[in-house]
Amino acid sequence: MSENIFEVKNLQKWFPVRRSMTDVLKNRLSYVKAVDGVTFNIRRGEIFGLVGESGCGKTTTGKILMKLLEPTGGQMILDGQEVTHITAERLRKYRREVQMIFQDPYASMNPRFRIRDVLEEPLLIHKVGEDHQARLQMVAKALSEVRLQPPEEFMERFPHMLSGGQRQRAATARSLILNPKFIVADEPVSMIDLSTRAEILHMMKLVQRELQLTYLYITHDLSTARYFTDTIAVMYLGRIVEMGDPDDVIDHPRHPYTMALISAVCEPVSGKVNRIKDVPIKGEVPSAQNIPQGCRFHPRCVYAKDECRNEKEPELEIVEGRHLVACRRYKEI
Amino acid sequence: MAAEKTTQNKRVLEVKNLKLHYLTSQGAVKAVDDISFCLNKGETLGIVGESGCGKTTTAVALMMMPSPPGKIVGGQILIEGKDIVPLTETQIRKQIRWEKISMVFQGAMNCLTPVYTIGKQMMETLREHREMSKEEAIARIEKYLAYVGLSKEVLKRYPHELSGGMKQRIVIAMALFLEPKIVLCDEPTTALDVVVQAQIINLLKDLKQQLDLSFIFITHDLATEAEVSDRLMVMYGGKIAEIGTNEQLYGKQGPMHPYTQRLLKATPLLHEKVEELAFIPGRPPDLLKPPAGCKFHDRCNVVMDRCKVDEPDLQEVEPDHFVACWRCRES
Amino acid sequence: MKLKDLRGSISEFWNEFRKVKSGLVGLGIFVFFLLLLIFEPVLAPFSETNTRWRDISYWDDNPQSAYPIWVNFFSAKKYAKSSVLKDPQVSEEAFGTNRMMTYTFEYDYQYDIAPSDLILKIQGTGAAMMDLTFTRPDGETVYLTSSNLKMVEGGVSRISVDKGSKSEAYDFLGGFESRDNMRKFQRSSIKPAAILFAKAQENMLIDPEPLKGKYTIQAAILLQRPEDTISNVELVVPGRVFGLLGTDAFKRDLFSGVLAGIKWALLIGLLTAIVSVMVGVIYGVISAYLGGWKDSAMQRVFEVFNSIPLLPVLIVMSAVFKPSIWNLILIMCIFYWTGSVKTVRSMGLQIKEETFIEATRALGASNFRIIFKHIIPLIIPYSFASMALFIPGAIVYEASISLLGLGDATIVTWGQILRDAYTGGAVINGIWWWVIPPGLMIAIMGMSFAFIGFALDKILHPKLRTR
Repeated sequence: MSENIFEVKNLQKWFPVRRSMTDVLKNRLSYVKAVDGVTFNIRRGEIFGLVGESGCGKTTTGKILMKLLEPTGGQMILDGQEVTHITAERLRKYRREVQMIFQDPYASMNPRFRIRDVLEEPLLIHKVGEDHQARLQMVAKALSEVRLQPPEEFMERFPHMLSGGQRQRAATARSLILNPKFIVADEPVSMIDLSTRAEILHMMKLVQRELQLTYLYITHDLSTARYFTDTIAVMYLGRIVEMGDPDDVIDHPRHPYTMALISAVCEPVSGKVNRIKDVPIKGEVPSAQNIPQGCRFHPRCVYAKDECRNEKEPELEIVEGRHLVACRRYKEI
Repeated sequence: MAAEKTTQNKRVLEVKNLKLHYLTSQGAVKAVDDISFCLNKGETLGIVGESGCGKTTTAVALMMMPSPPGKIVGGQILIEGKDIVPLTETQIRKQIRWEKISMVFQGAMNCLTPVYTIGKQMMETLREHREMSKEEAIARIEKYLAYVGLSKEVLKRYPHELSGGMKQRIVIAMALFLEPKIVLCDEPTTALDVVVQAQIINLLKDLKQQLDLSFIFITHDLATEAEVSDRLMVMYGGKIAEIGTNEQLYGKQGPMHPYTQRLLKATPLLHEKVEELAFIPGRPPDLLKPPAGCKFHDRCNVVMDRCKVDEPDLQEVEPDHFVACWRCRES
Repeated sequence: MKLKDLRGSISEFWNEFRKVKSGLVGLGIFVFFLLLLIFEPVLAPFSETNTRWRDISYWDDNPQSAYPIWVNFFSAKKYAKSSVLKDPQVSEEAFGTNRMMTYTFEYDYQYDIAPSDLILKIQGTGAAMMDLTFTRPDGETVYLTSSNLKMVEGGVSRISVDKGSKSEAYDFLGGFESRDNMRKFQRSSIKPAAILFAKAQENMLIDPEPLKGKYTIQAAILLQRPEDTISNVELVVPGRVFGLLGTDAFKRDLFSGVLAGIKWALLIGLLTAIVSVMVGVIYGVISAYLGGWKDSAMQRVFEVFNSIPLLPVLIVMSAVFKPSIWNLILIMCIFYWTGSVKTVRSMGLQIKEETFIEATRALGASNFRIIFKHIIPLIIPYSFASMALFIPGAIVYEASISLLGLGDATIVTWGQILRDAYTGGAVINGIWWWVIPPGLMIAIMGMSFAFIGFALDKILHPKLRTR
């Protein structure tokens, strides 16, 4: 068994853009480069956080890892096995090994299904359990794993009869029921009230420890990422710009983008009301259809110099230990 | 800074015993139940709470536009000392709404009509309310676009050509250009990215200074409120749990009400490594059948016998700091 | 548990449905039709309508082209009702080996317009001679036909006054009517029944006045052999009004016919609508779910079917194939399924993008499972509305085809009745009760389903989103 459960090398996902007639005639192809060369390793049993603003490609990355989207380029290795492009048969096995928790637990369940049916479905699909009774027992077990007690009571309910937190627990139970190795959690708490958000994260962490799971945690929220994850990767416009231990990345950010993100975060501390907050970033996120030359962050970077504009895009390099950054000038700033 | 003391006569808005109930077939849902507060000139009052606590309903009541079956069943809303509750809809539309008090609705930036340019939409809204020539209208629109940090370029654009931040700025400009003195903002930053969020917050602070506005800023996020609100009102189950200044709630002493305390603990801090985040077990009360006594008692960790029977009223524990809690009154 | 869900959702649905008045009216009419259908055996005066509709002998006792019975309420002159006189007074006299059986019927005539005929029905065996005597309330006695009967076991001998006693009636007439009037009519063209029930006076042929009172009809039957028997003698009086909806030119009871048509109309409507909507739903969802070039291809096929006009095709098909009701339904289904495809496809496209479909895909579910377990159950409720709206169309198409003479001649449908009315000259002869009831039934049934369909549409479509 390798140390890394998931290895992703130079992953790319380009969506072709619907072309106008002149584009077709001039044979001009254009793409939205949602994911444009992402490389990371997820260690066994860790929670890997993928952080970034909307449109940075974090959800697309998650969906590629879920095999809901086919990558345009790059390589994916799950548990030592190449899984970039796989047969339908291997995909069935893959679906048992890799599970997903969606952002909106309500939308991710068929509104006509009871919780019991929602949880039984993966078992039926993969023909697990001898009969209905055996499957129901597995459902009850999964529900108690996510602390929906008593499971019998929740099994009979419809998704709309649960609170947001309970729904997300049920959704988590569904992804756990096939004993996966790896779970992609796409913003699992962003739709949940603040007061119960911590409860869900706490539950997810407990389950992860108990069952020795590995999570890919996709979020835009640095604060929960810091609390929840073992590694943080910050994405900008389809690429990882900084990666490392959450404490290192948040307390000592090296990439100007990460710095801007951190400075923009609100904190419940007094004395900031009449101060205009300084966020060191310029302009707006460019379209992924039209990624700037050179360092892709340079048009918004307050530290950018000519070299950032003209030279090749910087690769991730080691700052120290596990802390990586993709900035040419990180030592100077 | 937050201690910029405000005096009684500077009140621009005063709410007394406001009640807004949704009269459903199963009974009255007391979404806003007997709340009183005031807004001083030039300050930002934050309203926080979980979803369904009545914060948006309060704003809707202040705009005098409850959606059926909602109905204002009691209380007063005094704007510049004049009660607007008894006014007719025509009077409200002509004199109050958008003229004296305006609102940035939650998700309003996604409600811009996709088939018209921004300019046409703004023009239409403006000339609906004010009789003015096209030139005057354009001049006014451009002035407010400048306030929100946009060039007049955007007037020719369609909503889908703009980013979320730009659309939110346009919505804010539209809430301002009839020159109201009170602006309600319902979750204006929720759907935006952190960086844009920070920019919008900066913009609101800037506008407050420049235009001498008073804001009511509604959000579920205590961290955001800490950045914008001079005073904070915490709502739970359609009632006010606590009102205090920024300093009182976020400072060393911290909030008094157990609900606010625990909500604050559940808010993650970026620069503090915590092993475990606190949370509040249970769920908000069903407002159709609210629990007896203090509505928070079944989730409270310091509940006493009295809390289950009597409902506490809001009491001033120190200047400008009001709490509705039996426990706080004891100590 | 499932049953409880169903009950819950039905009661919720009913609460919504109740608010749409037109839907309730539609439902009321539909329930009324259902009740008529269920109680058809009890309600139908002629129990063998379904099998013997085109068997003329079955309807022989009925009057021809008789008005509906309720016409009497609206007309000053009362038409004679149809009746059957049973249980006559019987007396028997023996003359050696011969027996003389006398059957006496009493008929109380209280109408203004005489019945169309008097028919004596005799069952028995062997040969017999019969004399028919007609005694009027004014004391006049008319000796009607005498005939030889040859009876067979199980058979019925019918002696019609209208056919067999013209001569005797003419002679009776001769005693009262003026010569001028007599000359205007030939012996064979008079209506005996009209004369027999008229006051004996001049002008009784041209402008008969009714002679109200008790009439006696006596049938004297002479049996010559001891083994010969008479078992049952009845006198049928075919009136001028008959049944709820009258009779047609072939003496058929139209009420029985219209009643028998309900089940076919419902069958044609429901079967065509259900089959074609189901096919349309499955086709539309598959097309939406597969997407890409498969979707485009399926849409082109759909457009081909959609653009073929149905009626000409139905006419050609009915002419080529045996015009059976099942063929008709099949052909209608083949062209009808396209009706719901467009809406269903658009709903499918929307549901396909829902997160729970992606979630199910992430769990490894097959396309089949996603389509049939997740997407179609969400669309089914909405398809009920289009089903209800399809039904009137199908019923009208069947009627049109039948009217053109290409329908299934073995069953009784409203279209068939209209067809017979058309060929039987109902319009020329003013037999409005042959045309209006079946036509009205088609319209009312169509309307009931249209009302239900609009109501369903109103309730279900604001919730086009899945929740």
